[in-house]
Amino acid sequence: MGPRVLLVRMGRLPYAEALALQERWLRRLQTAQGPGAEAGALLLGEPAGPVYTAGLRGGLRPDEETRLRALGADVRRTGRGGLATFHGPGQLLAHPVLDLRPLGLRLRTHVAALETCAVGLCRRLGLPDARARPAPYTGVWLDERKICAIGVRCGRHITSHGLALNCCTDLAWFEHIVPCGLEGMGVTSLSEELQRQITVEEAMEPFLEAFEEAFQCTLTLHEENSD
Amino acid sequence: MALRAARSVRITISSLWAAVATETPGSLASLPAAPARIWARLGPDSLPFPTAGASRGLCTSALRLAVRKFTDKHEWISTENGIGTVGISNFAQEALGDVVYCSLPEVGTKLNKQDEFGALESVKAASELYSPLTGEVTEINVALAEDPGLVNKSCYEDGWLIKMTLSNPSELDELMSEDAYERYIKSIED
Repeated sequence: MGPRVLLVRMGRLPYAEALALQERWLRRLQTAQGPGAEAGALLLGEPAGPVYTAGLRGGLRPDEETRLRALGADVRRTGRGGLATFHGPGQLLAHPVLDLRPLGLRLRTHVAALETCAVGLCRRLGLPDARARPAPYTGVWLDERKICAIGVRCGRHITSHGLALNCCTDLAWFEHIVPCGLEGMGVTSLSEELQRQITVEEAMEPFLEAFEEAFQCTLTLHEENSD
Repeated sequence: MALRAARSVRITISSLWAAVATETPGSLASLPAAPARIWARLGPDSLPFPTAGASRGLCTSALRLAVRKFTDKHEWISTENGIGTVGISNFAQEALGDVVYCSLPEVGTKLNKQDEFGALESVKAASELYSPLTGEVTEINVALAEDPGLVNKSCYEDGWLIKMTLSNPSELDELMSEDAYERYIKSIED
């Protein structure tokens, strides 16, 4: 039902490795001649260590970068939309590297589908009040607390980057930046909202269901050796 | 909106040509008055090409028109005196949503046709830009630093992105005319 998207389970890995894997899939899809058997790959994983990232516009000054590295975190510049955010253990990282054309999506509707997916996951886990908000508050919120950050890039119809949803992330890491450049806004996690430990593992299955629903596609597990 | 205004002006002008041809062949000198009034009413900014001034005749104005060509990635380029001005189409700016940031190359950057030269950011999404031709960047639109929304408000005029030289002008022939581009959009809209 719907176009096929490969599910690539990255597991727990350093963020830099996730970016390298993303690059390989991006190149593969961008250079594919004509429509392939699948509409793209959903890269799913959990960052193994703390990392702060900036977007196309930046979002982290050099002095901030020094301060953050001193805390023991990695700092990365990316080409995605959005400003500064944090990635780390306890966070579900989803980078759908998709060809928008077979999925019938425009970039704006791709971002909306990411929001719908994250809202769908929250609802499945018992948080009916999770909602997306219009720009500049793109992302998924519970009241004034952000549970899921979104930032994507698109080139030759192929998307990269995606969303980061806090399952049991140590939220203290967010205190060292202004997340997404939005002053005075809070951050939260599934564990924080439901007052019990929710691991990335536990959120996986409902996330996959929510993704298939939001993107109207079918996920097929990609076996690493079959490259 | 700019595209629709242009279409109605073109139809009006061509029907004027037809009227003149059937009634008074050879009296092209009498034609300019009518189009000048049309252009003056709509204003030069509503047309997708720079006008030579409402007082000039249609014939001389036609020779100065900078032809706009389009790529399949929704960029346009119009050339004048060997310099190309590059921007994104109305279709593209609508698809992007409100542009909040323009990442443009430095003056002097050499670009090959289809090289990525920058990106536009909107709604947490950064969209890559591709060079329509091979050449060197001579100017970037610095107004976009303060007002990136110009890309949405005036994608064919004030929202231009870069200017570049044309190393290989014959590459223009490989791009789509405005009519071909409009057909292309229709074919992908379904």
